[in-house]
Amino acid sequence: MGHLSGEHLYEIFARQKREDRLEHVGTVSAPNAALARAYAWQTYDEQKWFEMVVAPREAFEPVNRDEDPFTLNPAEAR
Amino acid sequence: MSTTDPGGFRTAGDVPMELRADLAALLLSLADNKRLLGMRYAEWLLGAPTLEAGIACSAMAQDEWGHSRILYAMLKDFGEDPGRLEHEREATEYLNSELLDDPPAEWAGLVALNFLLDAALSVQIEALKDSRFEPLHYKVRKVLEEERFHFEHGRGWVARMAQTRAGGEALKAALTPAWESCLRWFGAPGGELVGRLAGAGICDAGSDELRSRWLGRVGPFVEEAGLGLARRAGDGQWQSVTDPDWSGWDGSRRRSGDGALNAETLAGVRGDKNRAMLMD
Repeated sequence: MGHLSGEHLYEIFARQKREDRLEHVGTVSAPNAALARAYAWQTYDEQKWFEMVVAPREAFEPVNRDEDPFTLNPAEAR
Repeated sequence: MSTTDPGGFRTAGDVPMELRADLAALLLSLADNKRLLGMRYAEWLLGAPTLEAGIACSAMAQDEWGHSRILYAMLKDFGEDPGRLEHEREATEYLNSELLDDPPAEWAGLVALNFLLDAALSVQIEALKDSRFEPLHYKVRKVLEEERFHFEHGRGWVARMAQTRAGGEALKAALTPAWESCLRWFGAPGGELVGRLAGAGICDAGSDELRSRWLGRVGPFVEEAGLGLARRAGDGQWQSVTDPDWSGWDGSRRRSGDGALNAETLAGVRGDKNRAMLMD
């Protein structure tokens, strides 16, 4: 997934109820955390979320694979 | 069974007569500014610099129109006809900030409205959270929940644009005039409508305190962006580097200058085209 220079991918996790576990709901591209929060909340508004959090994709450490985390297409895997 | 505060006002009729017009004017001013701000957000749906920003503009436009509908509807209790307020007024009857008279020509102009003016409206609305005028309580909370993300969007764009020289210059050109205008928007020092409402417990602070709350909210981010508009004083309070010019201030219209909405904006905000189609 390409993105503009100066932009980072942020992964979004959310849950509808306190007793739920956070689930990965999507990704946004943003230049900073403030915009990532605004974009995440305004874009993924299909539910009335109890909690939503975002984290930059770079913060995730791959555990069992050498490729970048969150890669969907095998062709993009490095 | 009622949880109503014995000193609270449950309807407009409970509000002392001498304050009723002040409260109605404040609600109308908030409604008009929000309706027009929503229109300005909507104008950038397709022209925003990124897809995400366009979606955010769409969400913020919907929020602002929702907030303005709530506020116009509240004015019914004050003897106003919300339908007339929304669709039948002339440009000079709108109590909008002069910043909304014309659409911003550039994205930086929209960022100025988003970061400075939207935040000013929120500071004023937050001061009504525990108002003696009780119909405001629940509605204000809902508005503020949504506004939290408008502020994140505004400050995120200020930080983003300040990273490049060209972005910083565009930001400064757009924020500097909006800055003075927002400082004035809370009302002239020491008085006016907001002061009278604060005296009666309808608003929790007067103009000067609201201005200082707004400076505390936006000041750190304009300083971080190197815009030279605000500084932190020795006592930790945020101050404006310049004092606004009050010479053109009209307290009754809550704006500076004798201008008004341009014709296109007026037709859009009233929904003239929609009504023309209904008449066919």
